[in-house]
Amino acid sequence: MNAVEPMAVAPAAYLTVGTLLFFIGMAGALLKRNALSIFLSIELMMNAANLLLLTYARMRGDISGQVIVFFVIAIAAAEASIGLAMFVALFRARSTVDVDKINLLKW
Amino acid sequence: MNTETIVFALASALAIVFSLVMLFQRKPVKSVLSLVVTFFGLAILSVLLAAPFIAALQVIVYAGAILVLFLFVIMLLNLEQEAADKETRKIHFYLGILAVLGLGGLVTGLTLRAGNPPVPVGNGPFLIPAKDEIPLLGKVLFTDYLLAFEALSVLLLLAAVGALILSKRRFE
Amino acid sequence: MNYPIWLIPALPLLGFLLNGLASLLYGAAQAQKRGEEWRKAHPDEGHGHDHGSHEAAHGAHDSHDAHGHDHGHHDTGPMLPWALRLFHGVVGVGTVGLATVLSFGILVPYAKSVMSNVEGARPIVETLYHWIQVGGLSIDIAFRIDALSALMLSFVTFVGTLIHLYSVGYMQAEAGYGRFFAYLNLFMFSMLMLVLANNLPMLFIGWEGVGLCSYLLIGYYYDKDFAAAAGKKAFVTNRVGDFGMVLGIFGILALFGTTDFSFVDMARQQQMASGTPLGVYAVCALLFLGACGKSAQVPLYVWLPDAMAGPTPVSALIHAATMVTAGVYLVARCSAVFLLAPDALTLVAWVGAGTAILAASIGLAQNDIKKVLAYSTVSQLGYMFLACGVGAFAIGMFHVFTHAFFKACLFLGSGSVIHALHHEQDMRAMGGLAKKTPATHLTMLVSALAIAGIVPFAGFFSKDQILGSAFAGGHYILFAVGLVTAGMTAFYMFRLYRMTFSGTYRGTPEQESHIHESPLTMTVPLWILGAGSVLTGFLGLPEVFGKNLMVEFLSPSVGKMHAHEVSHATEYLLMAVSLAVAGAGIFLAFKWYTGQDAKFTPGAAPEDIIASPAAHAFFEKTGTLGKVVANKWNVDEGIEALVLSPFRKIGTFLWRGFDALFIDGLVNASAFMVELTGDLVRFFTTGNVRNYALTFVLGVLGFTLYIWMR
Repeated sequence: MNAVEPMAVAPAAYLTVGTLLFFIGMAGALLKRNALSIFLSIELMMNAANLLLLTYARMRGDISGQVIVFFVIAIAAAEASIGLAMFVALFRARSTVDVDKINLLKW
Repeated sequence: MNTETIVFALASALAIVFSLVMLFQRKPVKSVLSLVVTFFGLAILSVLLAAPFIAALQVIVYAGAILVLFLFVIMLLNLEQEAADKETRKIHFYLGILAVLGLGGLVTGLTLRAGNPPVPVGNGPFLIPAKDEIPLLGKVLFTDYLLAFEALSVLLLLAAVGALILSKRRFE
Repeated sequence: MNYPIWLIPALPLLGFLLNGLASLLYGAAQAQKRGEEWRKAHPDEGHGHDHGSHEAAHGAHDSHDAHGHDHGHHDTGPMLPWALRLFHGVVGVGTVGLATVLSFGILVPYAKSVMSNVEGARPIVETLYHWIQVGGLSIDIAFRIDALSALMLSFVTFVGTLIHLYSVGYMQAEAGYGRFFAYLNLFMFSMLMLVLANNLPMLFIGWEGVGLCSYLLIGYYYDKDFAAAAGKKAFVTNRVGDFGMVLGIFGILALFGTTDFSFVDMARQQQMASGTPLGVYAVCALLFLGACGKSAQVPLYVWLPDAMAGPTPVSALIHAATMVTAGVYLVARCSAVFLLAPDALTLVAWVGAGTAILAASIGLAQNDIKKVLAYSTVSQLGYMFLACGVGAFAIGMFHVFTHAFFKACLFLGSGSVIHALHHEQDMRAMGGLAKKTPATHLTMLVSALAIAGIVPFAGFFSKDQILGSAFAGGHYILFAVGLVTAGMTAFYMFRLYRMTFSGTYRGTPEQESHIHESPLTMTVPLWILGAGSVLTGFLGLPEVFGKNLMVEFLSPSVGKMHAHEVSHATEYLLMAVSLAVAGAGIFLAFKWYTGQDAKFTPGAAPEDIIASPAAHAFFEKTGTLGKVVANKWNVDEGIEALVLSPFRKIGTFLWRGFDALFIDGLVNASAFMVELTGDLVRFFTTGNVRNYALTFVLGVLGFTLYIWMR
């Protein structure tokens, strides 16, 4: 029983796009120094992962993948609110959001 | 080449190009705005993948709420000038590029070479129908994933409270 | 009527608790008071020094001022209020006195029943509860009265009470009066536990208890270095013996499957659970090692002379009359086991004889009155072991019994002399005390005659029978050693007598005017013990004079003596010989030590002043030997060189070589490794988020490569 509609575009194409976006996001997370930009890059990585999830869900014809994406988006919203609040607090304390100037994460 | 392929090509080009803009853009505001465009591209891809509800969320929640929140914070903190600083640690920069290109090249190459992965076809109640996927998604969310859904609502509440506490005037 | 036996040790324990508690409370109250006084006197010091002032006050309260060279008591601390002294005295003497009354209430009917029916005499055993129950082993808290423990009980309680009474007078000026009585009561409790125990582990409790009390009381003047050192020496030396004792108890358990004294009957019927002749020998030797430690036999006798650092009543009670006889008691108690290993008995006899003559020879040249008595105690204990070693356990116990009276009397007499002379213990500074202290003089003369073995005093009967048993058993060398020792004993006792009581006083006239006879609480015990020195001998008349009550009484516990047939003529001859030897010793002492000599100056050569010209001629001939004897055969120095210094060297090696280098090295090396690793890892801990992220990604890259390559 194969009730899944065949896809017009090869799944491998979607997967390649998702992977590329993921690594662009990773490059931003690694190379940017502004905490907000890093955060932004992480959001991009998360969305790339979402795209992969949707692709697999479509290939499998299973809607559970979309449910997981739904959850990821909701959690991303929660994460963004907390993360941005932290940056605001951080900026108040140190007047900068340059991660190279913040090295408290030791000992 | 059917229309779906053309739309796919345009949307993915949009997403990749503007994500690269985000990567190379030094001004945070412009980064955020280019990411908004990327998310629109992703939303289009979502529609192509039979997930119109997710596409709507992508636009409304991500582009509309989260990224606007980013914009608020950037403008609140007035981060314009700080982005222009020069990279001080060369070794870190090169190692970062090496890691990204290495890992990215590796995985992308693998994905391209492997072609369409053999994914077993699912069955049972979660099968995506040809039309009207949204009612099924709603049904699944409020039956099989109800507990996770409610837990998520608590998480969002906690996040709101946490953000409130964190952004209070000072830590004493 | 059946009296509860457990009350006998319980009463002194109660006394210990009451006295100790009262003493502690009073001490705390005094410290409080002194602290307040100090604060009043130093109002500007504020409250920051409260604690310090308490300690200072406490120290001042307990310390005794340094008081010259003497080893006697020091009446310099603040005297306790009379009500407290009365309380301590009444509780201390009262509890022990009650225990004595109680024990005689049990003893007298029991003795009667034993004497009327020797064969069928059963021991009284009173089991309180099961103490240890493991598998087949069951150890009870149980008290036992049989002939042997009855004999021990009689003189331990009797002499103990008298010495408590004596202490009331002797110690009254001491600040540690309550502490002293608490320890003395604790000692009585332990000794009674030892004597009344129905099994070896319980006996061991008492054994260790008396050891502890001995340590506490030798170190009674704990602020004096020599007393603290003597206490430690006693304790450590006893540990050597106790290790043998514990192993011996295990051995008994292995041999007979029980530590209950029923093993004595088993041994008598040769019913052993297991064991080889060598095993029995080893067990006996180990038990005897324990006895050597407690009863001060060669080579573990060295602690007893030093134990004279304690107050004189302690020397009398613990280091002469009761505790040191525990070893003899143990050997007599296990007599049946020893009889299974004749070689072990031979060992006991030779060690006893060797100790007797060695200690007696040292006693010849001592000038400290208590030291002479200490060495005489060691020597007499040697006699007791000699008796046990030749199989005459009953005679050995008889000597324990008589010795308890005359040696307690001698020690208390010497205490009275020291008291009279205000803490002078050097006999060269005495002399002419016969008229000044008549009661002390007379009682000491009687007991000196008793220990010298002059008929009809107590020591004659017991000592003569020891020598007789040795002779009858065919141990002629042991007999000869005993005889020579008897002569020496007579000599040094009357040397002591002459130097102390005869002639004229050798101190200053100012000191002479202060000499006084002791108070009634001290002289009454002396009279009673003096009478005991005369009378107790008649309880064990030799066979030629009729029935030997003592031997017969003890026979259920230690078995019948092997009757070596010696003709009556030989027995009379032996008595005559021992009397003659003792008489010769006394004669020589009278001849050499006239007591009529020049004034004593401290630091003068020993003997120079006191001895007569004939004695001087003798000393010159035996120059080197005499000096060695006067220096106690250099035993302490020998032990230092042969035992202690190698141990110290091993200890130093283990400390410097093993502990400091190896063990500490291991610990330090591991610490160094941690430090090194930390230094390396700290390089990665920059605190920079991007570094962490980069490291993470590089790790993932490496891992992916690994998966690919695989």
